[in-house]
Amino acid sequence: MSRPFPYTYVSCPCADTPVPDPARKRRSRESPQKQTPERTEAAKEVDIPKPQQTDDENGQTDDEEQTFDPRSPRSNFSLYPPEQLLYCEDCHQIKCSRCITEEIVSWYCPNCLFETPSSMVKTDGNRCGRNCFNCPSCTAPLAVSTIENVTGNGAQQGPWVLSCGYCMWTTLDIGIKFDKPTNIRNQLQKMTDATAQPAFDTRSRQGSRAFGDLKSPLSTLTSVADGQAAARDGGEGQSASNEDTPENTLSNTDSRFAALKSFYRTQISETSNSPNDPMGSDFGFSSPGALNRLMSLYASSSRLSGLYGGNKKSKSKPPVMREALNASEGLRIAPEDEENAVIERLASEGGWDSVASIEQRSQQSPEVRFVDELLPLPVLLRTKRAKRCKSCKHILVKPETKPQSTRFRIRLIALSYIPLPTLRPLTLPSSSSSAPSTPSPDLNALSPLRPVHVLLTLKNHMFDPVRITLATPSVTPGRVASKVTVLCPQFDIGANSDVWDEALQGASAPITGDPRLTGLRGHEKTPEAGKVWDKGRNWTTVVLEVIPGTLPGSEADTSNIGNESGDDKAVSGSTQDQDVLEIPVFVHMEWDAEAQLEQQNVGKASKPDDLVARELAYWMVLGVGKIQASL
Amino acid sequence: MPPKAAKSEYIETDTGNKISRRSQIHGTQHIILGGKTVIQAEAVIRGDLYRIPSTAASTDPNNPPQQPNTPSVAITVGRYSYISKSAILRPPSRLHRGVHSYYPLKIGDHVFVGESAVVEAASMGNHVHVGAGATVGSMAIVKDFSVVLEGAAVPPGMVVPSWCVVGGRPARIVGEVGEGYGVEGAEGGLARERYRVVGKS
Repeated sequence: MSRPFPYTYVSCPCADTPVPDPARKRRSRESPQKQTPERTEAAKEVDIPKPQQTDDENGQTDDEEQTFDPRSPRSNFSLYPPEQLLYCEDCHQIKCSRCITEEIVSWYCPNCLFETPSSMVKTDGNRCGRNCFNCPSCTAPLAVSTIENVTGNGAQQGPWVLSCGYCMWTTLDIGIKFDKPTNIRNQLQKMTDATAQPAFDTRSRQGSRAFGDLKSPLSTLTSVADGQAAARDGGEGQSASNEDTPENTLSNTDSRFAALKSFYRTQISETSNSPNDPMGSDFGFSSPGALNRLMSLYASSSRLSGLYGGNKKSKSKPPVMREALNASEGLRIAPEDEENAVIERLASEGGWDSVASIEQRSQQSPEVRFVDELLPLPVLLRTKRAKRCKSCKHILVKPETKPQSTRFRIRLIALSYIPLPTLRPLTLPSSSSSAPSTPSPDLNALSPLRPVHVLLTLKNHMFDPVRITLATPSVTPGRVASKVTVLCPQFDIGANSDVWDEALQGASAPITGDPRLTGLRGHEKTPEAGKVWDKGRNWTTVVLEVIPGTLPGSEADTSNIGNESGDDKAVSGSTQDQDVLEIPVFVHMEWDAEAQLEQQNVGKASKPDDLVARELAYWMVLGVGKIQASL
Repeated sequence: MPPKAAKSEYIETDTGNKISRRSQIHGTQHIILGGKTVIQAEAVIRGDLYRIPSTAASTDPNNPPQQPNTPSVAITVGRYSYISKSAILRPPSRLHRGVHSYYPLKIGDHVFVGESAVVEAASMGNHVHVGAGATVGSMAIVKDFSVVLEGAAVPPGMVVPSWCVVGGRPARIVGEVGEGYGVEGAEGGLARERYRVVGKS
């Protein structure tokens, strides 16, 4: 999801350091890291803290610190909007969606917002078992409504249909009406399986068995009793099954599947020579006789005692697994003229409009070809999930089980720990003569080589004050080299104290800022190096001066054609989105946290108010705007 | 704010609502604004489509006669909600037992309704973001902390669960927002900031 300018993204460190290690962070300045070959020398520059360092670039090229390149293909996978990131208190590290594992807390229907117990989820086929259906034609939710709108207050007895409020599809289009407005899913199942059985997995197995008993006692006899005999007298069985196909073909794919499944299960249990055969019992289906025998041959070493003899016996007369032979076992013989009928139907009636689209068919049973065969789709369930840190397994997010609740039992989001960055262009009053920036620069069309000031506000959500050090490469990586200067790279942010404390202390000054700053406010305020722009209770704003570079090939490009031609081979990044001005900023934060119990030094007699110096460092990317091609 | 209101675009009410003079609000006695609500220019709010008490229901549903007694509420908007330019808020309606009647539209706190969006939902929770040009169909229920993407068409009667992102025509659930969504100042929690800057420039 792309965002409008200006935006800020935070990079999850997992892309570079798969195993987060706080100790390594501390060493990171000394530790040599791999340099990506395509990076230019200029891009390697990191403007480390001191503001005056921005101009002397060449003295620092030996710095091995790797600059984050928002343009590198890998960055796509590590940049997240700040609100999507989590924070693990044990690893002391930012966690993105790839650093966590998820566990399902509850299943619920997104339409009726009822929770489905986990035991029911499988039997319901991961779908809502109530009255929630999606339109098979357009996927909008279906509403239960009466056909005849009975005026007056009499109880509405009319037949009920499911109707789509978006595409006006109704179940009348497929010729289905319901007697009751409740329990539609069961009603629908009864209608679609001509055999009046609930057709979902386990229940349907018994259902089809019962059906088989009812329709043809002979078939159950063959399927359950003596498989080998039936296999031998194949011809006989075939004829029998052929006879009963017309009347008791299992119409539904689900019921047929269930019938086949139960059939093969019985076959396996009969043909397998070991009743406790792991293949036969553990999995729903097993290998046919030959493979089974092979498996038991290999496995025989482990269970020599009981099975070796049996195995030998079976070698002499291997049990044969037969295939399904009649309709009640799930066999369906393709009608000879099926294809012709379809073609005929396509040619004669309806034509293109009567054919279900691929998207529609992908949701339906495989035989559905025409729109009048589409069935309403019970709504797929959604889940509420808890999230755990992958490396330390601590729970980071645990929502409440109830689907309607938006609360969390545990929610360790990164925003509670790292300062929330917000970016906005600096608009100076028009009276200010010195500042070159226009009242409100259009971020979607920044003119090249014209300095723009942007305000970066960092808001602290922790209860401890933090010291922040910002660093940017003085020239943005990529083909379009924009110059960036953080006017005040080192500053403090106040603690996120109780709002009431502050209100009670000094009601006169709602924003307790630096007296110099408050004095400045109201007057002309110009961006000044080394000074924060503005400061509040738990936030600080600094100014970034950005001089957008020129796009290669644009008319403003003449000035640095010499550089560009030399770099062209080195910078092999794609030219897509090269006009997007994104600034990588390295944030280093330090604060004194209260030591948690388990982290206190055991040897020392630790005082309860022991403070531990903490630090955290990460990259973030500021999306300032788009650079215009021409001046 | 001192009364320089004569010229400014926005009228600020006692409860801090900032209402553009160029907005079109009908049936004001049937609208409740929770305070600090922003209504931008050319936004249309149909408070005149309120539910008629059942006694008068059988007369003429399309042209409701004015009822001077207890005004029924047609639209409720919570605090710090923001109705952008040319957005339309209409109470949902439905044909029930042969009578076409309107139902109240409830919008929660910190809701953003994008430019030229049409909202006919039965209820919208808190911190809901409706993108520009989106349509929320009649009697839809949009729960807290959900996002309707730009240009989406939420079909009538759809329920958008919390933390979900819906998009497309018809809208489907296409994703979820992060756990930090709605935190003050972050995405979904910008309502106060949005309110603050209105009428300043």
